[in-house]
Amino acid sequence: MNEEEIADLVAYLDGEADEKTVREVEEKLGRDASIRAEADALQRTWDLLDYLPKPEPATDFTHRTLERVSALRPRIPPPRRWRWRSGAAIVGWAAALLLAITSSYWLAKKPTMSDRGAVVEQAEIDQLLARDRRLVENYRTYEHVDDVEFLWALSDPDLFGDDS
Amino acid sequence: MTGLGETSSQLALRDPDVRLMHRVRDDDEGAFEELVESYQRRLVAVMHHLVGNADEAEDLAQEVFLRVYRARKKYHARSKFSTWLFTIANNLALNALRSRQRKPVVPLETRDSGPLGPRPAEQLVTDRGGPPSQRLQQQELAAVVRQALDGLNERQRMAVVLNKFEDMGYAEIAAIMGLTTKAVKSLLNRARANLREALQSYVEMDGAPAACEE
Repeated sequence: MNEEEIADLVAYLDGEADEKTVREVEEKLGRDASIRAEADALQRTWDLLDYLPKPEPATDFTHRTLERVSALRPRIPPPRRWRWRSGAAIVGWAAALLLAITSSYWLAKKPTMSDRGAVVEQAEIDQLLARDRRLVENYRTYEHVDDVEFLWALSDPDLFGDDS
Repeated sequence: MTGLGETSSQLALRDPDVRLMHRVRDDDEGAFEELVESYQRRLVAVMHHLVGNADEAEDLAQEVFLRVYRARKKYHARSKFSTWLFTIANNLALNALRSRQRKPVVPLETRDSGPLGPRPAEQLVTDRGGPPSQRLQQQELAAVVRQALDGLNERQRMAVVLNKFEDMGYAEIAAIMGLTTKAVKSLLNRARANLREALQSYVEMDGAPAACEE
């Protein structure tokens, strides 16, 4: 038998041969004793595999498998308990931040050495304003006057006084 | 075998294990446990036939289930569940066998299964009592058959184990191994020819070990 014929014989023994192949193999088996001997040898070889041990899984196989699987599941972390060390650190940082903000604010408000001159000037301006309040209040009128002496002259009763 | 173009829902109707896997996909832990219970014997047996070591067989079988679990969210039935399961098993087993070739391991006797000695459940299928000499002969024959199976390459061994012990047809083996049906037919043909050659003297003696050394 050639290799293809042996392959067909194996397929026939495995129940995998198509109808045409089945007819051909059965025809050969019927007329050729050597082919029948070959088929018999192939089948008995195959049956020897039954001598291999068939182990059963260990009784705890399912349990061990499920344990390994449970290790794959994502763990939901437990709610974090308040830890004093972490809390103190948070409070400390918050206090430092508040202090920094407060300090910045007050530093912005408090006059610096360069601002002292400006403070003094402001006081002098306040004094000037208080002294020349009438000038300031009537500035709109006075700005049209070119000459101050003319203004003084306006107040001379001999020049511009009442007739009465 | 599944028909061409079957949808996932059609497969789910026909295959209860597909429905079970859908429940696993939805994180039903009970469903996963059911699958493990249902397939562990078959997986451990297949792995044991392939690697010849009970502890390694269980580790590999467990790894198959882990991969099933990891892949659960992406599961989409395109074939029977068992076909998908044994495809994973095939990949893992072939990797293990190839890894062995790179790092040879001294084989243990077939009845040794770890540091604690033989597992109580590891029995020869034909070991049903009888005289000690008969049991010894059976154990010797098992060792010879084991050796013959180990003499096959990984793919021949896988095809033999799936065909013989899982009773799978050529088409299903082809789907699992990523081959054509014709390639599986050729693979099994070569495997059986090699086994026949390795076990010739035992076949001619009706499977009984030789009474005397020749």
